[in-house]
Amino acid sequence: MSAPPATPSAPTTTRRGRVTGRAKLDFWFDAVLLVAYTVVYSYGFTGDVIHEWLGIGIGAALLLHLTLHWDWVVRTTSRLLNPRGHDKLIWLVNLALLFAMTLCVLSGIAISRVALPELGIDTTLQTPFWFRLHVLTAEVTVGLVPVHVALRWRWIAGVGRRMLSWRPWGHPR
Amino acid sequence: MDRRGRPPHALVASVGTPAVKFLRQFAAVVAVVAVVVLLGLAWNRFAPSLPGEGPGGEVAVAAGSVAKAQPHGPNAAPGRPVVLRGKAPPGSAGIRINGGGTPALDLGDLLQPVNLAVLRYNAELEAVIIGAVVIASASYRSLRRSWRARTRDSPPVDTDLS
Repeated sequence: MSAPPATPSAPTTTRRGRVTGRAKLDFWFDAVLLVAYTVVYSYGFTGDVIHEWLGIGIGAALLLHLTLHWDWVVRTTSRLLNPRGHDKLIWLVNLALLFAMTLCVLSGIAISRVALPELGIDTTLQTPFWFRLHVLTAEVTVGLVPVHVALRWRWIAGVGRRMLSWRPWGHPR
Repeated sequence: MDRRGRPPHALVASVGTPAVKFLRQFAAVVAVVAVVVLLGLAWNRFAPSLPGEGPGGEVAVAAGSVAKAQPHGPNAAPGRPVVLRGKAPPGSAGIRINGGGTPALDLGDLLQPVNLAVLRYNAELEAVIIGAVVIASASYRSLRRSWRARTRDSPPVDTDLS
């Protein structure tokens, strides 16, 4: 049985064991996304203004995140019916996260009190449904995001170890 | 010219440059997200109720924010605006409640210990979940590896009954 690729979308290392530029981009972009998500979820910490603008920013960043890993999505989806296919659990978690995160951002935009009015957009969706949906999906995402991260711990550990290891004069160990 | 007699640039165009590939994938992502958005809008339009919603009014809306009140709890009553979005750390004095009107960008609030505790609590919660999943995943891999090694090393079963 062949091992699953270490990274969802692209080769992690070059032949000389160095981390590829794409892996670095994935690593740091996802790290920033995780920190931003933790901050934006802490509504009591941020208050309205930062919560809403950062939430909209995370929504846009998630589109980019999904685009960068679209190859993995297509590859894994096409192998779902294969009994020896890998990543079924990760695929399910990611699908649930896609729904929860999208609905969270959508409901957040619907109940926006600061960001959309500042943009001159007057939403007419300020109904209890959207408030409740925002809370519910936020609570679902706070459970799924760490699982989403942790299911890739081997890739994170591998890339992180290579990137943070000290190499004198640029020579690989 | 390639084997089909096309000029080189035609071959490149048929494969797609990285920018074209990125745009194509981005369009696919936007389409998928649009489907989820439409499902959300349809949910609101045709069945605007959520799982876990009871008739007692567990969820109340106050001052433009969601207040999740426990209808039979000691500190909360239906309709009482208590807890806003986000998690309050256990034992903390509570989280900042934003009043009505246009909220201002008050960065000074971020440094208040009571507000910082909310962030710390959420970070710890995520760290605990990550740690639990990593331990479970590593244990599962270790078990599978040892099981495979055992089956590989064991002698073949003699099924000859003669």
